[in-house]
Amino acid sequence: MLAVARRFTGDASLAEDALQETFVQVWKHAHRFDCERGSARTWLFGLLRYRLINQHHRARREAFEPLPGDHWADDGGSTPEQCYVEEDQRHRLIDCLQTLRLERRRPILMAYYQGFTYEQIAERLSVPLGTIKSRVRSGLKGLQECLRL
Amino acid sequence: MIPESPQEQRILIAEYVLGLHAPEQEAEIARWLEQDSEAADLARRWQEHWLDAAALLEPVSLPPQLWKRISRRIEGTSGKRPRLWLQLWQSLTVWRALAASLLVAVALLLGPLRQPAPVYTVILQAPGEAANPGWRVTVSDAGELRLTPLMHGSYPADRSVQFWTLADPALGPRSLGLVEPDHPLVLPARRVGGVQSGQLFELTLEPAGGSPGKRPSGPILFMGRAVAL
Repeated sequence: MLAVARRFTGDASLAEDALQETFVQVWKHAHRFDCERGSARTWLFGLLRYRLINQHHRARREAFEPLPGDHWADDGGSTPEQCYVEEDQRHRLIDCLQTLRLERRRPILMAYYQGFTYEQIAERLSVPLGTIKSRVRSGLKGLQECLRL
Repeated sequence: MIPESPQEQRILIAEYVLGLHAPEQEAEIARWLEQDSEAADLARRWQEHWLDAAALLEPVSLPPQLWKRISRRIEGTSGKRPRLWLQLWQSLTVWRALAASLLVAVALLLGPLRQPAPVYTVILQAPGEAANPGWRVTVSDAGELRLTPLMHGSYPADRSVQFWTLADPALGPRSLGLVEPDHPLVLPARRVGGVQSGQLFELTLEPAGGSPGKRPSGPILFMGRAVAL
């Protein structure tokens, strides 16, 4: 969680503050956790991410900072059927992300890891906002099909 | 504005989970998710998938001071000493005492209707499937244990499901008896013994009538560790 917060904020101190407040929130609202609505891990990361997004603790660093996934091949040729691994539910997202073209994958990863909005991604990549929205939505549609969501 | 098209709604949820929109629209989508359980469920499933991406980051060790800060923050004693009324207001001890008094009053009023508050909980999950809880264990302050199914399970008719706990590896696992699939089980405190944080509970698939020995002989179906509430 701290790694996610650090990557998101780009600031160790802000990341620790966010983690601290998330755990205080967990302490206060533990009764709201409902295991039938997801795992504890999902709940914890959800609380942290919600806090990071809503407190505008978004990264202010350069867009081309290396991100996980940058080293993946940019073949973009696999179909959702090829990437879907029926028996292994884990790591499906990673498999699916690897099927996306880099131009669609990178803005999605910038949003996840660095917390950039559409406008910030467009600005940092010097690509028109409409083009970025189109690429991200195409990428998310591909992920959605690949993940059977 | 929330789109009418189901497909566009699904993409909007994916965008929301990533935090791609400006704060005003994020707030609007959050309100929509609060009212639409199907949409909220899709958001949760996206969040679960994105945990895989979080796992790609190099783990960061927690600075030793951070847990202390969190602990102080929870206790409400960090920073300057506030005024007396504020100390009382923020005092966990005071709130605990008030809560305890209220509980006593409610207990006196409701008597037998009162359900014992759980002090430990365990989510039993199939090995390697953290997102799919199978059973829930709660242990009350009186030591009573409740085992509740969270999903429908299918087990071979000629086998038995056996419930185990492991408090101390040196002593080995202890059988808590056979479990009827898909049915809750309540065990009295004397049968359960003491429970502590981290104590292991598991369900195994055994020959009909249970394991022939004092240890599990079949595969683990579900397992989890006790967490203090």
